[in-house]
Amino acid sequence: MLGHPTVRSRTTARRPCRWLVVSMTLCVLIGATTSAIAQKIFPYETHVETLDNGLKTMLIPMNSGGLVAYWTIVRTGARDEYEPGHTGFAHFFEHMMFRGSEKYPREVREKLVTEMGADANAFTSDDLTAYYLNIASEDLEQVIELESDRFKNLKYPEAEFKTEAGAVYGEYRKNRMNPFFRVYEAVHQEAFDVHTYGHTAMGYVEDIKAMPEMFEYSQSFFSRYYRPENVVVVVIGDIDVGRTRKNLQEHYGDWARGYTPPQVPVEPKQTKEKRIDVPYEGQSLPIVWISYKMDAFDPNNLELMSADVFAQLAFGETSDIHKKLVLEEQVVEFIQGEVNMNRDPGLMDIIARVKEPQRVDYVVQEIDRTIAHFKENLPDAQRLADLKSNVRYDFLMGLDTPMNVARRLYRVIAVTGGIEAVDHMYRSYDKVSAQDVQNAARKYFVDEQRTIAILRPGEGGES
Amino acid sequence: MRRTRLGAALLLLFAVACGGESPEGRASSAQDGTILLPVRDDPTVSFCIWFQVGSQNDPPGKEGLAYVTGHLLAEGSTQDNSYEEILAQLYPLASTYGVRVDREMTTFRGRTHVDNLEKFYALFTDAFLKPKFDEKDFERVRNDALNAIKNTLRYSSDEELGKAAFYDFVFTGTSYSHPREGTVQGLESLTIDDVRAFYNQYFTLENSVLALGGGYPSNLPERLRTSMSALPAGKPAPAQEPRAAAIDGRKVVLVSKAGADASLSFGFPIDVLRGEREFYALWVANSWLGEHRNSSSHLYQVIRSARGMNYGDYSYIEAYPEGGFRQKPPQNVSRRQQCFEIWIRTLPNDQAVFALRAALRELQTLVDRGMSEEDFELTRSFLNKYVLHFAETTSQRLRYAVDDRFYGIDGSHLENFRKILPTLTLEEVNAAIRKHLQYENMKIAIITGDADLIKRQLESDEATPMQYASEKPAEVLEEDKEISTLPLQIAAADIQVIPVEEMFEN
Repeated sequence: MLGHPTVRSRTTARRPCRWLVVSMTLCVLIGATTSAIAQKIFPYETHVETLDNGLKTMLIPMNSGGLVAYWTIVRTGARDEYEPGHTGFAHFFEHMMFRGSEKYPREVREKLVTEMGADANAFTSDDLTAYYLNIASEDLEQVIELESDRFKNLKYPEAEFKTEAGAVYGEYRKNRMNPFFRVYEAVHQEAFDVHTYGHTAMGYVEDIKAMPEMFEYSQSFFSRYYRPENVVVVVIGDIDVGRTRKNLQEHYGDWARGYTPPQVPVEPKQTKEKRIDVPYEGQSLPIVWISYKMDAFDPNNLELMSADVFAQLAFGETSDIHKKLVLEEQVVEFIQGEVNMNRDPGLMDIIARVKEPQRVDYVVQEIDRTIAHFKENLPDAQRLADLKSNVRYDFLMGLDTPMNVARRLYRVIAVTGGIEAVDHMYRSYDKVSAQDVQNAARKYFVDEQRTIAILRPGEGGES
Repeated sequence: MRRTRLGAALLLLFAVACGGESPEGRASSAQDGTILLPVRDDPTVSFCIWFQVGSQNDPPGKEGLAYVTGHLLAEGSTQDNSYEEILAQLYPLASTYGVRVDREMTTFRGRTHVDNLEKFYALFTDAFLKPKFDEKDFERVRNDALNAIKNTLRYSSDEELGKAAFYDFVFTGTSYSHPREGTVQGLESLTIDDVRAFYNQYFTLENSVLALGGGYPSNLPERLRTSMSALPAGKPAPAQEPRAAAIDGRKVVLVSKAGADASLSFGFPIDVLRGEREFYALWVANSWLGEHRNSSSHLYQVIRSARGMNYGDYSYIEAYPEGGFRQKPPQNVSRRQQCFEIWIRTLPNDQAVFALRAALRELQTLVDRGMSEEDFELTRSFLNKYVLHFAETTSQRLRYAVDDRFYGIDGSHLENFRKILPTLTLEEVNAAIRKHLQYENMKIAIITGDADLIKRQLESDEATPMQYASEKPAEVLEEDKEISTLPLQIAAADIQVIPVEEMFEN
């Protein structure tokens, strides 16, 4: 439900899958409505500590057959790329974090990680960059040593920096033919006049091409953002809490403070509807993508939580519009609505892939009709109850491995800086009533707050 | 709360004593063949129902029939509920069911919280026991499949297109050649009566294998077996084993697509399957050469890490569909005929032949010299723990158990591998390389926006030197000289160019 927009699609998927693995934390919490768990929705013990240098650590022991998920969440993403010409840099820098340090040069580090059979990777999105290793618990101490070392002492020669820039351009290449990526990129560019959410985590292609020349900037980027006050380390699985805590203190305790917050511009209030056509030189069914401006994520913002409930009731798989357009008239391949969880005011996206180009306007009209209906009518009480049941069971079923627990938590941790928001959100969602849903529809879903993007194939474009 | 290891051990004994059917957390086969994977403290129940049918069973001219049939069952109305009602009833349970149709297998998968088992069970089993074959659902599912080929596969992901073109090329003339979704003309020719007849022929009790996992109640296996007796009767004849034609030399298909960068997939069929000791030896070699989405992949190190040419480069000894979208191997894509395959991710057209040469050179070196002791030990250490991540959840382990049945593996493929690993020798691995890998006879598929350039470079065998934007170490530049002039030995007559709009048309 709540999450992050799409930039790619599976070969046979009826829905676009996500740019990144997206935390479902917010949505799963909505459904936990019984008062018995009102105070604490998350079922595992959580040990949170902030070191003297500001680094936050979260230890979550769980029975996991000897597996441990070790996540380092940097609260820096494309949002922090406020300096002109440097879009895509957070993502590029994520690549550089694999280039080694003096103590563990790239080859040495890779060999150690390989020896331990770790499932290790990283990703970048609008508000965060996350690094993870899924390991056997016996390798935890070595991982703490390796991870703390690269975050404190990353070092790479300029030639390697330039080489990695080529790999990033390759990543852009593999994405650029995806029509969802194109429209996602375009709608953000149009929706935001000054805020950095106007560009994707990939960045503008001209900035990607210029990356090899930004070696010095990369060092400044590391120095400003890769600091303990801006990072949360999360360790989940078969762990000894006392020992792990001591290890983290020993290895990260001397990491020097020095975080410099980015000067992210404040987006002025949108005052009129925006409409764009997105060119695409390949062949695709048309895509309708309508984005409404939302508030920044705040677990205590009942209106925002209600907007998310509205998105599901109005555009989810059991909605009237899904029944009409997907199942009965078969005008669209899929339709979905989603509020994104963002640190600054972001977007709620309604996305549909239309089967016949001449029916695009009709689909937009039906979306408008749906929103108007919710403004005039209270949602069905049973559907609201079903939704709450859905998110409760989704939550209960999704915490089966350390990595799955981490996937459900990382975004809320990155956006809020803590894990307390989980319970706060739950308390807010617990209060969402039919009237709140209607109020949210009236407050957020107004024409002057939206951007309508239509991707139509065969109209040329970037080559 | 965390349970102690002692507690887990006691629970295991308890489960064995009380369950009586299968050891806790490990798949086993009941007397009637049902696969059981009880995990008592799992609050969910996982189902996997395997029908021994797939796209290889599509009648000629009706390519896509297996895919549409499977998806119509999983995404259509039943005799008791419209699809809309099914979605509405599943929604509060946060449970879904779905299908995977591959070349040889159709598997229905479902998972629900044990609280909701009753409601879910009825909806899930109705999907394949009481299908309605609704005409409107059929049109929707067929239309989605057509779109998957005409728009998504052809135009949205060149990497997946490259893999599909490779399989099509290798298995030309066999039942393995067309994508699981079918072909455009095959799909367009389908009728609801075709689907109904296909269902009656293949979705039979005798043609199915049932698998249950998680914290299911003890009476569920029997109940499921009883329910399944409502399936049609009969045992269809097994499909003929696909035999790819022998490849003599290096053959190339260039899929021409305006504006595309280059995406490459190439390789050849191999005659070794999961379960055989040689397979596990070859697995070690393949992991070293090209572990999927892992920087330990040697091809990745040569093409991406050292040269920054693209996003990644990997190799395979088993089918790995949707490789661009997944980190770990999929389950239930078992096949009687596998390929060795190298995948070079998207890069500029003018670097495609250099990348091809670089990968061929690494393959050649591996075949001629084998693995080194050091690489062998490192890869063995890596795999011993890395495979633990392949099946972390009950559902994944259950699907692996179904694949074990497909391959006739006694025990668990992944567990057996970890047992065999310490006993493998470098000599065995190198013998498996020599026996199953080679570099002279293969098929190469390249998606490209500049077929003329690549065709000319391939047939002329001209040098394809690399130009870099950044400084590279002397040893890389020295190696580049060898790579850029590596003889390709591809005859002009062995290069064909196919416009993308003709791919998977019929």
